[in-house]
Amino acid sequence: MKSAPFDYFKPGSVADACARLASESGGAVAIAGGQSLVPLLALRMAPAVTLVDLGGLSALGQFAKTSDGVRIGAGVTHAAIEDGKVPDPSGGLLQRVAGGIAYRSVRNHGTIGGSVALADPAADWPACLLALGATARISGPSGERVEPMEALLVGAYTTSIAAGEIITAFDVPALPTGTRWSYQKVVRKSGAFAMSIGCVIVRPDRAAVVVLGGTTTRAQLLVETATAFGGDEARLRAAIARDLASVQQDADDYVKRLHTATLLKAVREAAG
Amino acid sequence: MKAKVSLVLNGESVSAEVEPRETLADFIRERQGLTATHLGCEHGVCGACTVEVEGQTTRSCLTLAVRADGMHVKTLEGLAADPAMMVLKRWFHDEHALQCGFCTPGMLITARDILSRHRAPDAGTIRKELSGQLCRCTGYANIVKAIEAAGRELAGA
Amino acid sequence: MADTHEPTGWIGARLKRKEDGRHLAGAAQFVADIRIPGLKDVAFVRSQVAHGHVRGIVKPADKSAQVFTFADLGNVNVLPAGPEMPSFKLGPYPPLAMDRVRFAGQTIAAVVAGTRGEAEDIADTVVVDIDELPAVVDCVAAMQPGAQKLFEHWADNAYITSTITEGDIARAAAAPIQVRRQFRMNRQATVTLEGRGVVAHWDRRLEELVVYLSTQGAHVMRIGIAQSLGLPEHKVRVIAPDVGGGFGGKNRLMPEEVAVAALAIKCGHPVRWIEDRREHLIASVHARDHTYDLTISAERDGTLIGVEGDVYVDAGAYALWPTGSFMETSMAARNLPGPYRIKALKVNTWTVATNKAPMGPYRGVARPGACFAIERLVDEMAREIGRKAFDLRRQNIVTKAELPYTTVGGMTFDTGDYVASLDMARDLIGEVAVRKRQSQSESDGRAIGVGFAFYSEQSGHGAAEWMKRKGRIIPGYESCNARMNSDGSVILAVGTQCFGQGHDTTYAQIAAHELGIDPSLITIRYGDTSTTPMGFGSFGSRSIVFAGGAVAHAGRQLADKIKKIGAHLMQADPATVHIENGRVHASSEGVAASLPIAEVARAANIRQELLPAGMSPLLEVTSTYEPRDSAGVFSYGTHAAVVAVDPDTGVVEILDYAISEDCGTVINPMIVDAQVQGGIAQGIGTALYEEIPFSSEGQPLATTFADYHVPGALEVPLVRVGHLMHPAEGTEYGVKGVGEGGAIAPPAVLGNAIADAFRSIGAQPNETPMTPRRVSDAIAAARAAMGVRS
Ligand SMILES: Cc1cc2nc3c(=O)[nH]c(=O)nc-3n(C[C@H](O)[C@H](O)[C@H](O)COP(=O)(O)OP(=O)(O)OC[C@H]3O[C@@H](n4cnc5c(N)ncnc54)[C@H](O)[C@@H]3O)c2cc1C
Ligand code: FES
Ligand code: FES
Repeated sequence: MKSAPFDYFKPGSVADACARLASESGGAVAIAGGQSLVPLLALRMAPAVTLVDLGGLSALGQFAKTSDGVRIGAGVTHAAIEDGKVPDPSGGLLQRVAGGIAYRSVRNHGTIGGSVALADPAADWPACLLALGATARISGPSGERVEPMEALLVGAYTTSIAAGEIITAFDVPALPTGTRWSYQKVVRKSGAFAMSIGCVIVRPDRAAVVVLGGTTTRAQLLVETATAFGGDEARLRAAIARDLASVQQDADDYVKRLHTATLLKAVREAAG
Repeated sequence: MKAKVSLVLNGESVSAEVEPRETLADFIRERQGLTATHLGCEHGVCGACTVEVEGQTTRSCLTLAVRADGMHVKTLEGLAADPAMMVLKRWFHDEHALQCGFCTPGMLITARDILSRHRAPDAGTIRKELSGQLCRCTGYANIVKAIEAAGRELAGA
Repeated sequence: MADTHEPTGWIGARLKRKEDGRHLAGAAQFVADIRIPGLKDVAFVRSQVAHGHVRGIVKPADKSAQVFTFADLGNVNVLPAGPEMPSFKLGPYPPLAMDRVRFAGQTIAAVVAGTRGEAEDIADTVVVDIDELPAVVDCVAAMQPGAQKLFEHWADNAYITSTITEGDIARAAAAPIQVRRQFRMNRQATVTLEGRGVVAHWDRRLEELVVYLSTQGAHVMRIGIAQSLGLPEHKVRVIAPDVGGGFGGKNRLMPEEVAVAALAIKCGHPVRWIEDRREHLIASVHARDHTYDLTISAERDGTLIGVEGDVYVDAGAYALWPTGSFMETSMAARNLPGPYRIKALKVNTWTVATNKAPMGPYRGVARPGACFAIERLVDEMAREIGRKAFDLRRQNIVTKAELPYTTVGGMTFDTGDYVASLDMARDLIGEVAVRKRQSQSESDGRAIGVGFAFYSEQSGHGAAEWMKRKGRIIPGYESCNARMNSDGSVILAVGTQCFGQGHDTTYAQIAAHELGIDPSLITIRYGDTSTTPMGFGSFGSRSIVFAGGAVAHAGRQLADKIKKIGAHLMQADPATVHIENGRVHASSEGVAASLPIAEVARAANIRQELLPAGMSPLLEVTSTYEPRDSAGVFSYGTHAAVVAVDPDTGVVEILDYAISEDCGTVINPMIVDAQVQGGIAQGIGTALYEEIPFSSEGQPLATTFADYHVPGALEVPLVRVGHLMHPAEGTEYGVKGVGEGGAIAPPAVLGNAIADAFRSIGAQPNETPMTPRRVSDAIAAARAAMGVRS
């Protein structure tokens, strides 16, 4: 199980990287931590002509506090967040999510940007960042743009990132004191991708946010469930059922029970 | 296309022209002839190939050799004189923490990393930290015991 | 010498393992670690489809010399495999496909190149033209009239069918209580952490083919390779270096191994193939895949009467050499009565060919399925008649006074105390406290269940038993060549294979016991056909009984000669001599004398003038051993587990796990406990995690460890082990085999624990792995049947 041959390019800057990615559209692929891409290459499931290595780009590895939260470079690893090296404006949510991804040796290299860019429907960062209302900063041949997570995530393994573009950072807004959150996931076994993720954030100043991950499409904001937050169980169940009917039409009875249980647990924990 | 890789492997500088597709695991095993690093899946799940890159545990099957250019890499062979590793090995032997031995190098490197991040960890912590290292023979119990005992000894407890 | 030898000293000692050092140093040598100058890598072109006629294989023009089809390999014999019975239909498995492919992943061509990556590049460019046929993926449907056939010349898709009718069937049919259930134990892989692998080259100096093979039995594989290639056996040397786990999966001759051996001759340079994980999951030995439809019958008072029904085993596309997997059905059927005084057994069995990878043995062979079926049935019967399952088990299990006891399935249980085993497991798990917790509701909405399951494990079965099974090779003995060197150190060469079980240590303990020397003076050799005597390898929990016995015999014969020479050297009466602590002691007529064994060894090896007149030099013997009773001895035990189950997600957490076990006399308790713990980890995999599902086109759907879930440190609990010890009567020291038992009962005990958690509604966790989806669906179905909202 060895990769097909490919070329390797180490860009000197983000612009360099974008230029190379744009020039070989379809053939050039960015590599960040490589923790998802390398196995896909080894299985010969992702043909690549040239790997453009984002690993050495210092701009992507940085993080800093901003006026209303924190900016996390796309190349920041799960382990750096787990270890609290990155200022956490979310009251521990980022740290908790990071520490629950895969295994330490994968977290040492896997990046937040790679995780979002891959857009695995069962991955953790897309669900978490969507719930936090983060925005992605994206660089490309035509300059920089910002995109909220809601617009970035398109479907399973599909994002709005165009050829020649890379994610450079995420702006994660701070959660005010008094915010409550819950992050629940159901896995087949420890470290495996989730079957279901429920993330609920309740800020004192806003309505609750409820996100479901582990669907067959992408992490989804559940509007009805968020509205029903605080209601009794029957009301919540009804709201979840309506949300599921719209965000995952193909859900069978088991998937409905599974997601409902995950969401109820997250809602209950966030409600305190 | 070939690329030149120079890295420090177990304290020695090595360099070679490699194809970009060559993994660090294959570089270590096939090119450098160091075979303590084992391959159990080549897709990042089993942990048998775990080595240290720049002091961090790394799945060598998920790392391209070209990307380790300029870095310090350590395998089990290079940790023979490491004090924590020596304590771990003694406890692995005492607690019968290996059967076929195929998972053992990855287990030891991961165990050393666990003990460097957690002082005298309890069994629950060890199990969580070890969850990415598959062993098909032991059922883990003795591995957990060995790491727990080594952790206590190293913490002077 | 008597079989019942008082165990003392090294027997029963917790000796740390002799084999650890090289592994801890990272200096072990597995097949992939073998380096031979000029070595080239092999990759295989494999079938993308499950079933079809091969119409053509087009090699890339510029690389055609590196691509080999079956025709290019030279004269390779495709060996008949499976039992030697006229009723067993043969389906030859060529090393590379000829005109037909029968499962997705079957080898079609081999590519040789400088690196594995390059070989895979070329393999990707080989074009295979296949006319697809419908895939046969359901073993029950495969037996319906008109089903697509795998082998045109067969009457139907069954390798073999049989009906077992024993005991009072009429009484069973008329019994007042009948409980019928369907069970499935799905297909899985054996998953050694080291995959299979082979390195082969023609040694020009010795004029022989050398094959390094990750195998459980080098000698038997040599026979297979020699026959396949048409070479005399003395021209083939098979070496099993360090082997990274076996569990049954490395005990059959596989197509890649024959192809690589043939390529070594054809190409004239060393070649190797190292199985990768995807190949392991799609094309290595597959296991389990049992389907049961059974009825258990009982009197109103709970006396069990009979088991009746159908057993299907999906054996995949071919029978693997030598014996195939046909034992699977007969063993499943014969184990269905379990340890109970069941008086009637009527089972129809089918061993069916389907378009899936061939099935082979895996730790526990057939019994995990049979144990799951009977132990779940006992629990269901208990629920049906309103009894506690534990009590019903205790009421029907064979008592100590009844042993030896021949079950209606024809198994003769030897020594033990099965009731005590049940009671010990109940006490270990603390059933009273668990029941109390169960009666209160959990704050997280989960339900608590406790389950029990009894298993037995036949080991040490000899020639007569294997002849009954019509094996092509009868593994009825083991051998040991023991040699004491001139300094008193000892080399023991055996025909079994260690792949983690600690043979270097336990065999040394046995020899140390017999020779009165320290185990550190003893080296064990195995896994090389040119340095070890003929033997059958390690499987079926046979090593400690057979090879342990051969080592004991060889040690005793050496000891006898040592005593004779020692007596002569001390001018003592041989009858008064014994050996102890590395010395020969004489104590005739009140005078005590002694001398080091090393002096005897020196005399025997290099100072013949010191030997008694007429005595031959050397301290060297080769012994063979077969236990007195060919029917085997039975280890047994009771597993007990407590689970917490989320009824909605269906996630099962094992809260506690205990086992009472009895494997007769223990040579090394540390190693026995570790075999139990490791076996249970694999059994938990079967019970809750591991499965290779297939699409309706016959495509395997778990092809990486991302889809095929091997339990990790958080999924496998610490198992508490309690011991009973009833030595066997027919083996050396009273040992019984212990390798497989741990893997047999976990599906049964976890199924019973999950069912117990939902006993009030009668949820039916009857299909493994009991995934969250299956468990949740079973609970939902039971609730629906009761009219409860889920
Ligand atoms: C055994 C195992 C278990 C795992 N379990 C989990 C889990 O439980 N939860 C989870 O969330 N993840 C899990 N992962 C995935 C892991 O988190 C990866 O690290 C992550 O998905 C990808 O990050 P990466 O930096 O390694 O990206 P890479 O593998 O380098 O790249 C992934 C994809 O993203 C693209 N990409 C990378 N960076 C950028 C960028 N800055 N801009 C645009 N495109 C980019 C690449 O081109 C590629 O297509 C697991 C991985 C493994 C091996
Ligand atoms: S071989 Fe690298 S994780 Fe399995
Ligand atoms: S000891 Fe064999 S895999 Fe761990």
